[in-house]
Amino acid sequence: MSAAFDQITQADDGVALSSTGEARDFFALLKPRVMFLVIVTALGGMVAAPGTVNPVIGFAALLAISVGAGASGCLNMWWDADIDAVMARTAGRPIPAGRILPSEALAFGLTLSIGSVLVLGLVANLLSAAMLAFTIFFYAVVYSMWLKRATPQNIVIGGAAGAFPPMIGEAVVTGDFGLTSIVLFAIIFLWTPPHFWALALVKSGDYARAGIPMLPNVAGPAATRRQIVAYTLVLTPVAVLPALMGFGGLIYLVVSVVTGLAMIGLSLRVLKVTEGEPANKAAYALFGFSILYLFLLFAVLLAENGLGLMWALPKVQG
Amino acid sequence: MSQDPQDRKQPPAAFSPEDMARRNRRSVALALVLGGLVLFFFIVTLAKTGPAILNRPL
Repeated sequence: MSAAFDQITQADDGVALSSTGEARDFFALLKPRVMFLVIVTALGGMVAAPGTVNPVIGFAALLAISVGAGASGCLNMWWDADIDAVMARTAGRPIPAGRILPSEALAFGLTLSIGSVLVLGLVANLLSAAMLAFTIFFYAVVYSMWLKRATPQNIVIGGAAGAFPPMIGEAVVTGDFGLTSIVLFAIIFLWTPPHFWALALVKSGDYARAGIPMLPNVAGPAATRRQIVAYTLVLTPVAVLPALMGFGGLIYLVVSVVTGLAMIGLSLRVLKVTEGEPANKAAYALFGFSILYLFLLFAVLLAENGLGLMWALPKVQG
Repeated sequence: MSQDPQDRKQPPAAFSPEDMARRNRRSVALALVLGGLVLFFFIVTLAKTGPAILNRPL
């Protein structure tokens, strides 16, 4: 554990009541990159939903959903500060680096959690607020406090938390959720394991030091590589479903097929290249491309449904 | 975590001018967020109420 982390937690016990952390440190607690993906996926659920919403209400709801997602990230950083401190990738985060007190992060995360759920309930509806509350609970408690340190299936089950935003988005618009957002949920849910395991292959030393039972540390790199390919082979056809179901158009069909083939190609390279720096590069390439892949799928859905760029597929005559 | 328990009874060290400047920037950011929230709730209230807000008996 870092000296800074020791110092800050001890100070929390007896001396300092607040840190000198700046606004950007508090913003970093919200995991802004994850928030951005949540905004894109929740907006995807909203525009693909069968219905319309007042743009101001839609924007306010989107803000509440993204703040709720940020709040769960903040609670995750509060809980995981001890393991973040021993992992190179996360040692610079505000709490282990000593810029924010754990008690401040907890108060910040809880305040934003309660506030975002209340605001969503007031501006949209109770169902979407309840789903946001459940998502925060699932990420902060079920994933962070329980699964992450307990099972190599942590990110598989925990991935549900990241997959809920499109369902919340549809609930904002329709007051319900149906097949549209369930398919979008499935895409993110199936995307999560190959995305995180690609990173875990490279950072397995970090995870081992922190005592986190990621799949490469428990089942080994070979089994992880096979699982990455298996999940990718299931993910890519599911990602084409929006085009076949009618809420994705021709552009979506082309993008999902082409980028899906690239995902399969990159995952096969991870399977084949297993030694040294080329193996790390292959895993990093998949990790990086997987982010672009998910972003592109939802960006095209947004463009087609939100900006009127939908060219529907020709109907097959039966 | 091997700090002498006596150390914990020391009074807090005074903030340096640099620390104070950081705290001031943080306070300004908090004020901006609170101001933004006031504006947010005002606009959302108008949107929720709809055009009927201008059509009511006085």
